[in-house]
Amino acid sequence: MYFKLFCVVSALSLFSKCHCLGEKDEIQNHCDLLRQWLAPSSVTVELNKKGFHREVTTTVEFRSKELSGVKVLLIHRWPRDVYVDPYQLASLSDQNKWKILLDSPIDLEVPAHEASGFVTYVYPFSTGPTSKLFKVTIPIHGRYHKPSFDGKMFKSVDIEAPELLLRTEKCAQLSSLEPHTVVDAPCTASNSSTCSWVKVKPQQDLNPVSFQLPVGDGSLVAHVCGGTLLVTMICCVALSKYMWKHQII
Amino acid sequence: MEKLISKVTEKHILFTASFVIRLALVAYGDYQDRTMAVKYTDIDYHVFTDAARFITEGESPYNRSTYRYTPLLAWLLTPNIYLNMVFGKILFIVCDVLSGLLIYKVLCLRGLRAETARCVSSLWLLNPLPMGVSSRGNAESILAALVLGTLLCMEGKAQRLTWAALLYGLSVHMKIYPVTYALPIALTLRTAEIRVDEAKKTSRFKKLVGFFVSFFNRDLLLFAVVAGGVFFTLTALFYYMYGWQFLYETYLYHLTRRDIRHNFSPYFYMLYLTAESTWSQWLGLAAFLPQFALLLVTSWMYYKDLAFCCFLHTAIFVTFNKVCTSQYFLWYLCLLPLVIPNLSLTVKQGLGLLLLWFAGQGIWLGPAYFLEFEGYNTFLWIWLAGLLFQVVNCFILIQIIYDVNLLFHHIPKSTLTFTFKYEARIMKVPTVSQDPKVRLWPVYQIA
Repeated sequence: MYFKLFCVVSALSLFSKCHCLGEKDEIQNHCDLLRQWLAPSSVTVELNKKGFHREVTTTVEFRSKELSGVKVLLIHRWPRDVYVDPYQLASLSDQNKWKILLDSPIDLEVPAHEASGFVTYVYPFSTGPTSKLFKVTIPIHGRYHKPSFDGKMFKSVDIEAPELLLRTEKCAQLSSLEPHTVVDAPCTASNSSTCSWVKVKPQQDLNPVSFQLPVGDGSLVAHVCGGTLLVTMICCVALSKYMWKHQII
Repeated sequence: MEKLISKVTEKHILFTASFVIRLALVAYGDYQDRTMAVKYTDIDYHVFTDAARFITEGESPYNRSTYRYTPLLAWLLTPNIYLNMVFGKILFIVCDVLSGLLIYKVLCLRGLRAETARCVSSLWLLNPLPMGVSSRGNAESILAALVLGTLLCMEGKAQRLTWAALLYGLSVHMKIYPVTYALPIALTLRTAEIRVDEAKKTSRFKKLVGFFVSFFNRDLLLFAVVAGGVFFTLTALFYYMYGWQFLYETYLYHLTRRDIRHNFSPYFYMLYLTAESTWSQWLGLAAFLPQFALLLVTSWMYYKDLAFCCFLHTAIFVTFNKVCTSQYFLWYLCLLPLVIPNLSLTVKQGLGLLLLWFAGQGIWLGPAYFLEFEGYNTFLWIWLAGLLFQVVNCFILIQIIYDVNLLFHHIPKSTLTFTFKYEARIMKVPTVSQDPKVRLWPVYQIA
């Protein structure tokens, strides 16, 4: 009888060991999967439209074949020369296949020298289980800059390439994925919790995209002030003269 | 053609048609918003709706950035959240048609025949500009209705002063610019001067004292108390509810606003280039003085015809303001139909001035588009176009002043030998309708 008990217990323990080993294997598989995703993938940044209202399109293409369960995060660090309109983003959220989180409130009206840079966290969701491509288009707007006094008609604005981060719920031991860096960032766009993410090193170092914004010509300040005040004074005097002549008694 | 015009301007058809057209535009706007990339609805409407949403959640409407209006507007639009988002637009188009009705009533009180008054009102009711503005969700029509209501109550012998003061106080609470009407209204309501024979000389000091004393009469005090009471009660109430932010966003921001971004104002480039310099404050003052001086001159010269005075006031205020956007044009365009019957311009001349006004705007919009949407540096062209637009506006105003004066008999001071009341009696002049040069409106005569 004891022998039977012994057999059952050893069978059970063998089974549980196998199961644990199986689980460990599964976790290892998920982490390997993540490692596969960390294999060089392409990130391209494009700038569209002209003038003060532009669109920054970030396209990420993965080489890995099996994609389910992995979450993607794009972190853009924007300079103070531009801003995004949170209300515009909210109105576009229905059409977009991504959610966005801003790290600070944005003043839509201040000029560049009174503003500060900000960070956006974009969480794209995949269009299908086999989709390897993520495309995110963010509308940005240029701020007014201080007028230039050195004859330059434009101010150059540089937009750095975003950081690409990955995580999967099933792989918790992100340290096993060294030498890739692990950073903390909000888990989702609702910003209710922070998770650990793995940063993907891009295939090649991306140069920032840049564009030009027109600025006022400070060297003309005397002419502009003089001209404006002269014309408005003339108009003021002319109007007063006519009103005086044609008044109602 | 005449038959068609008279058919369209029949009372019930005119007002019904103008409301139905606006309603159709609102419906179309909803369709465009849902289907096309370029939205019909103005961004301001979303600002109002978001502010109303904050109120329904028990918060301040000023949590919505760029909401720079009275909380009363957000409160009025809370049905946007409880009922349907289109409620606000319906309210604005109703106020728009109401403004047309008020224009009609004022014109009738000023002595026009009902038919002619309806014809002139159709310049507002069937005008695509106010139609577009209200159906896109701008709240300007509420203010137009309040200002026109004030003028209606002030017009004619049966003045309804309490109502006028109430509406005036409310209009100043909603937007600051009607505060400029305070001086002409005060000059209208003060005790009339009794002109005496020129031979009897009164000292300057006595005249000055007499002038100041004339402001202390029952009518003016009643108006001041009621209007002031309404304004300060509302201000105190909203200050209690929303604090300093209400005062800043609703009033102080507009008073101190220095928008360095491109706009129609001739001062825009000057203020942009000097925004960081020590001269900024002095230049701001230099920009304010012509505006202030002209408003004083306008009040003194034309207070006897309050509607015309208010029109000139607002047109000058907008033309010489440090910031000018196309929304501001509606502030004086709603008063233009009141002035038109008093102009002896031919249709050709009138259309010519209108085209000139649009051309001035078009010349500005060109370089502005290239700056904002194509990225060219057209700041200098925008500045020059802004100056040109100001010259065009002044030219049109001078034409109007010159032309409307033909109606008033300009009696040189030296021939005055009798006493008279400043209040003119409006007499209708018989007309011959076939002759296009003969005016179809009454002539003011000193009785």
